[in-house]
Amino acid sequence: MRKHKNKVIAGVVIAILLAFVFWYGGDAPRLRGWPPQSKETATVVQNDEPTKEEIAEAEKAISDISIKKENAPATEENKPQKQDGAPMTPAEKIAMAQKIAESTQSATKIKPSNEEYSEEQGMVINEGTGKGQYRTGPVPDGKPLPIEPENIVITDKESTCTLSIRCDTILNNIAWLDREKVDIVPKDGVVFAEKTVTFYEGESVFNLLMREMKRNKIHLEFENTPIYNSAYIEGIANLYEFECGELSGWMYKVNDWFPNYGCSRYQLKAGDKIEWVYTCDLGHDVGGQYSARNGK
Amino acid sequence: MSEFKTYHPIVNFVYFVFVIGFSCFFMHPVSLCISLVSGFTYSVMLKGKKTIKNNLIYMLPMLVVMALINPAFNHEGVTIIEYLPSGNPLTLESIVYGICAATMIVSVICHFSCYNEVMTSDKFIYLFGKIIPAMSLIISMTLRFVPKFSAQLKVVTNAQRCMGRDVSNGSMIKRAKNGLNILSIMTTWSLENAIETADSMKSRGYGIPGRTAFSIFTFDKRDKKALVCILLLGIYTLVGNLMGETAFSFFPSIQAAKVSPFGISVFLAYLLLCICPVIIELWEVRKWKALRSKN
Repeated sequence: MRKHKNKVIAGVVIAILLAFVFWYGGDAPRLRGWPPQSKETATVVQNDEPTKEEIAEAEKAISDISIKKENAPATEENKPQKQDGAPMTPAEKIAMAQKIAESTQSATKIKPSNEEYSEEQGMVINEGTGKGQYRTGPVPDGKPLPIEPENIVITDKESTCTLSIRCDTILNNIAWLDREKVDIVPKDGVVFAEKTVTFYEGESVFNLLMREMKRNKIHLEFENTPIYNSAYIEGIANLYEFECGELSGWMYKVNDWFPNYGCSRYQLKAGDKIEWVYTCDLGHDVGGQYSARNGK
Repeated sequence: MSEFKTYHPIVNFVYFVFVIGFSCFFMHPVSLCISLVSGFTYSVMLKGKKTIKNNLIYMLPMLVVMALINPAFNHEGVTIIEYLPSGNPLTLESIVYGICAATMIVSVICHFSCYNEVMTSDKFIYLFGKIIPAMSLIISMTLRFVPKFSAQLKVVTNAQRCMGRDVSNGSMIKRAKNGLNILSIMTTWSLENAIETADSMKSRGYGIPGRTAFSIFTFDKRDKKALVCILLLGIYTLVGNLMGETAFSFFPSIQAAKVSPFGISVFLAYLLLCICPVIIELWEVRKWKALRSKN
C-alpha cells in the first residue's frame, strides 16, 4: 500500500481536477456549474427545444398574420372580430394578442428545415450526410437557397434594403467582456442604426456589409473560409468573436431568419431586412439557436 | 570584460530570470527600449565588437519582417489607415503592435545570448545538480548540444576532406552522397556522445548526496551585495508592474498608464536592473585603473 501511495494520491488529484473542470464548464455565462445571473438567458434556454405542436401552431399563426396584413390598412371593419362577427370582449382581445405574440416569437426562433422543399428548389443534398454543397443543410420553407459568390455576376441595377448592426447582448453580459473593450461598446448597443441602404442586384449580404462599413468608417474584420465558401465575420467595430465569453460572436439575420449558411452566399433581394447581432451564447440570446444547434 | 561572470551562479541566475522574464512580458515601449538597449550593450561587452555587426545583420531584417507580418494578419484597432487588397483594414494599432512585438523578440534573443555566455553548464549543474539532478543534466546537455555539434561537424568535415569525400568537390550526386554520409556520422556521434556523457556522470556518482560540484564557488560579501540589489530592483519592478504602472494596451486603441512619479521610478528600477552587469563591469574597470595608478 505504501508503495502505491503516490499513485493513489495522483489519481485522486486528477479525479478532483476533472470534477472541478466539469463543474466549471467553460468561459461563458451559460457553461458554468452555477446558474446564470441574468434571468433573460435562463428563460431562453428553457425554450430551447420546441415541440411539434408549437411549430405547427407558429406556422398557423404566421399565415393568420399574413392574411391580416393583406387586409390592411386597419379600419373600423377589420378590427379583430369573432367568427360570428360580434365584437370581442377586452379579455378575449388580450388572450388573442398574447397568442399572436407568443406564436410569432417562437416562429422567428424555430422553423424546421425542409429537405423536400430545398431539393425542389434545386439543392443537391448528399444522402449520407443530409447536407448539400459546402456542408449546408436544407433550408426552411420559403427561404432562398445559398448562391455561390464566384458564379454570380453583379449588375449595376440599384436596389435598396435595410441594414442594422446591434450588440445589445453585450450590455447584458458586460462583466464577461474583455476589459479593454468596455469603453468602445455603444451605450445603447447600436453599432449601426437601421438605415435604408443601396445595393446592386446580385450582391450578397457580405458585399453590402463590407461596402457600408467602409463608407461609414466602421471597423470590420473577416476571414474567407473556403470550406463553407463564404466570408466569416470575426469582428465589427473592434468587437470580436470570443470577446464576451467563449460562446460569443456575430450572427446575421435576414427578415428575422438566421440563414444556415455564410453571409457571402445570401443573395440580397429588394426590401430585405438585414440585421447583424452580437451573441454571447451561440445565438440563444438573440433567437438564433436553431441555426446554432445544427452547427451551421 | 567579464566581471559579472565571476560572481556566484545564484547571482547570475537570478539576474537572468528577472531580466528575461520581464523582457518577455513587459509591452510598454519604454520597457522594451530599456530591455533592447541593455541587452544589446551587454552582449557587445561580453562578446566584443564583432557582435555589433552580427546583431545588426540578423536582428534588423528580423525586426522589419516581423513588424510587417503582423499587420498582414491582425486587423484589429480603431485607427484605420488604409484597406488591404483583401478588404480587411490596415490599422495603426496593428503596425505599432508588430514593431513592439519584434523589438521584444530581438531583445529576448540578445539577453539569451548573454545568458549562454555567462551561465555556463557547470554553473547550471552547480545550482541544480543536487535539487533536480536528472533534469539539470538534460538541460545543460541540451544547451551544450548545438555548439558541441557544430564543433564536431567541423572536425568530421575536415577529416572527410582529407580523404576527398567532402561536399566541396565531385558531381552533384556525389556531393549529396558525401553530405549525407557526414550527416549520418554526426547523428551516430551525437547519440553515442549523449549516452557516454550520461554513463560517465553516473559512474562518477552524479546525483548521489554529498557529492561536490566541479567548480567551486564561494558566496562572499560582493555576491551578497549584488544579489540584494538585484532582488530589490526586481521585486520593485514586479510590484510596479502588478500595480499597473507599466500597463500598456494596443487594442482597440493605444493606451498607456498615466505618467506618475511611481511609474517613472519603476522604469528607473527596471533600467538599473537591466544594466546591473554593465555597471559592475565599469566599476571594476575604474577600480583597476585606480589601483594601478597608485603603484
